[in-house]
Amino acid sequence: MSMLSFERQYRVRGGTLFGGDLFDFWVGPFYVGFFGITTLFFVLTGTTMILWGAAMGPTWNVWQINIAPPDISYGLRFAPMMEGGLWQLITVCAIGSFVSWALREVEIARKLGMGLHVPVAFGMAILAYVSLQVIRPVLMGAWGHAFPYGIYSHLDWISNTAYQYLHFHYNPWHMIAASLFFATTLALSMHGGLVLSATNPGKGEVVKSPEHEDTFFRDLIGYSVGTLGIHRLGLFLALAGVWFGIVCIVVSGPFWTGAWPEWWGWWLNMPIWRT
Amino acid sequence: MKIIFKTALCLMAAVILAGCERPPIETVQTGYRGTGMEQIYNPRTLAKQASLNTAPAAAEAADADGPKAKDVYKNVQVLGDLSVGQFNRHMASITQWVAPDAGCAYCHNVQNFADDEKYTKVVARRMIQMTQKVNQDYKSHVAETGVTCYTCHRGNNVPTQVWTAPKDRLYANSLLGDLAGQNMATKAAGLTSLPSDPFSPYLMNAQPIRVNSDTAMTGAGAYANRASTKQAEFTYSLMVHMSESLGVNCTYCHNTRNFASWEESRPQRVTAWHGIRMARDLNNDYIIPLTDKFPANRLGPKGDVAKVNCSTCHQGAYKPLYGAQMAKDFPELQALAKP
Amino acid sequence: MAEYQNLFTSVQPVGPLHHGVDLPRGDDKRTGEPFLVHLFGRIGNAQIGPVYLGSLGVASLIFGIAAFNIIGFNMLASVDWNPIQLLRQLFWLALEPPPPAYGLSIPPLAEGGWWLLVGFLLTVSIMLWWVRTYRRARQLGLGTHVAWAFAAAIWLYLVCGFFRPIMMGSWSEAVPFGIFPHLDWVSAISLRYGNLFYNPFHALSIVFLYGSVLLFAMHGATILAVGRYGGEREIEQIVDRGTASERAGLFWRWTMGFNATMESIHRWAWWFAVLSPLVGGVGILLTGTVVDNWYLWSVKHHVVPAYPLGSPVVVDPAILGVKP
Repeated sequence: MSMLSFERQYRVRGGTLFGGDLFDFWVGPFYVGFFGITTLFFVLTGTTMILWGAAMGPTWNVWQINIAPPDISYGLRFAPMMEGGLWQLITVCAIGSFVSWALREVEIARKLGMGLHVPVAFGMAILAYVSLQVIRPVLMGAWGHAFPYGIYSHLDWISNTAYQYLHFHYNPWHMIAASLFFATTLALSMHGGLVLSATNPGKGEVVKSPEHEDTFFRDLIGYSVGTLGIHRLGLFLALAGVWFGIVCIVVSGPFWTGAWPEWWGWWLNMPIWRT
Repeated sequence: MKIIFKTALCLMAAVILAGCERPPIETVQTGYRGTGMEQIYNPRTLAKQASLNTAPAAAEAADADGPKAKDVYKNVQVLGDLSVGQFNRHMASITQWVAPDAGCAYCHNVQNFADDEKYTKVVARRMIQMTQKVNQDYKSHVAETGVTCYTCHRGNNVPTQVWTAPKDRLYANSLLGDLAGQNMATKAAGLTSLPSDPFSPYLMNAQPIRVNSDTAMTGAGAYANRASTKQAEFTYSLMVHMSESLGVNCTYCHNTRNFASWEESRPQRVTAWHGIRMARDLNNDYIIPLTDKFPANRLGPKGDVAKVNCSTCHQGAYKPLYGAQMAKDFPELQALAKP
Repeated sequence: MAEYQNLFTSVQPVGPLHHGVDLPRGDDKRTGEPFLVHLFGRIGNAQIGPVYLGSLGVASLIFGIAAFNIIGFNMLASVDWNPIQLLRQLFWLALEPPPPAYGLSIPPLAEGGWWLLVGFLLTVSIMLWWVRTYRRARQLGLGTHVAWAFAAAIWLYLVCGFFRPIMMGSWSEAVPFGIFPHLDWVSAISLRYGNLFYNPFHALSIVFLYGSVLLFAMHGATILAVGRYGGEREIEQIVDRGTASERAGLFWRWTMGFNATMESIHRWAWWFAVLSPLVGGVGILLTGTVVDNWYLWSVKHHVVPAYPLGSPVVVDPAILGVKP
């Protein structure tokens, strides 16, 4: 079977949110659960629709496949299938599968006696998707404002949406989010590096201790956040980055229609120092 | 402690939110669905803008019969073929458009209307010709809507949206602190730190605006595209100006995934192309030659004359006065006089 | 009663402060008497200090502070030495590289010379700091993984500020020192070279950037979720697998069908984080030197999606020979 050497003792019943023992089993390494069934349903339906949309389109080139949302003229109504309706159904399946996946993670965590940090963290990513594809379009009055499903086509959407504000880099929330993304990557490299440096100390050395880890960063920069702290910090930086990303895009359009550089006028024109 | 912290947070939020707007907003799709090519408007701001950008009612048309103005009045160098009635109507209109407070005395010696002693009369004469030039030769930009003096002046002696070469900083010759023409917060650059004078190179001189290559791979020698990344910043600054002047964003003309491509652009981009050439033309053939006519207080900090850019006419509207057709009531402004 | 979520430490036991693992002979003594900050202790360690101020570190700081000061004084000079305007326009100000006309020659101080000097001083500072990260690890008997991760970031910094400008024959291609100005540079290079979204190395770099954020969220959350089993004691768990690692691994195995180990997750982490600047640097280095228009490059390589064009199709007025 596909079980790890120590796995059998952990495969106990319980932890489910819904459905009791009915779906409390594994297929290979995968836990099923009620939400595994719903995940499967939404993923299969959504994928089939994507494939159908590709078949109806001009190409099977995976980079060029594009399934676009409806025209803005349809507002928040259902559009005909070939005019964006397919996109709408795929979006419903996407949300269904993401939420199912998160709830399945809750069941797995409960079964393993773990905290729910992972599904909560995933919830932030789901919130980002829902903000882009539902919340912001609703605030702006049309599904057509959402991004299309396509590898390069979604980048075209990003480019044009950003240039609607002339210079999106000046969006202060985007600045914070980008800084947090880079800080997360920096912290990840430092954490991965530190643990590996202690456990892979090189020829002739013994595996080191957390005291060595702390000493390294104290020597280097005067402070070491520690083994527990780095995981809190990493989770915080990552989730804060996504959060400010959500803020930066939900504000663009519904709460700010001008060029983002112009937003800084309030700072420049403060009475104490306006020129 | 907690209260101070919470209050500080609330205040910050208030300050930040003060810079923001609220839904509902209006959007206009300008490209294929899902590409993100849209114009976004705040209807409340737009309504206010529209009310500030209306055209005044035209005076009732005058009788074309009777002797010509050039035969009745002295020193009539332009508009001489109008009837006296039409000529006077035009003068009254100009007064309303350019000098509603000062009246006829803004340009004329009221003891002797024919006298050219005031610089404003000399300048106005040339500007009438400039207006005729725009309406006759730049239909590629102004179509049949055309322009009048009001389009730029809007009841002001000097149009509010003009540009001069920016003044140097106080210690311009110092060893430190070279701005390189950018890296300050200026209105001209739309509050970016892009170059603060994109007008001199592109709306006065004819520096190339295009920076993209039309080949994928880097060319060598004679085929190399020598445009620098820095040059792209200058072009970008001009484009920010154009967007702000018209109250539109980049996707009004372009599909930003490939700015350079004309096939993927909108027809408005062609109109803008002509507009750039028109601005150069007006600055070089009409405005700059008038420099020594102006007194010092009308010149910029470097002694240059106030010139036109996109916002001179557009003033935040995608068409000046939101497309109000003023020029049709003033056929005398539609064509240059035959020499 | 609400359940503890392992986000903030509620009770901080205070013991003797740690003065660091002993250093080998030849190293200096550490500087500063460590002290505690209670607020830090709610998230991680409360102890601040001691710090190791070796020759490399001090030299690095000297070069770094010199660079910082030159940038700052140039910014202050650019607003005519007005400190209020310095604060007001801080985000807009910059120390700008030389204009394109100077190519790779040494320009006058006032026209990019300071930028070149700062570039040199900052690079020396960064290199010295890199050697410091390497040396501190070696002196403590640790592997040098942190130093090599830092090297990936230095690679990107040098590509943007040194290698690519040299290959392009112009210092003006480099990045200015300034908040908004460096963002203008980012936009400008994308505008000039046909949309950097179509640069496949740029796309891959973003995959690793977002992937790093994803991974740290996953790893951070996982460790916090098994905190009750001592999950954060990663070294001990690596050499002697305990129930924390087992549960953490099984969580992911049951969720997505495969899992890492307590050690290998840190390899995933290190590689994702390192590959972002590494691959990104390659993408920037190729821009303008090999590829002049990434959109057209992508068209050549058949990855560009097609949209219906407007009608009638817009034509370039310049090639029409249109007389304005």
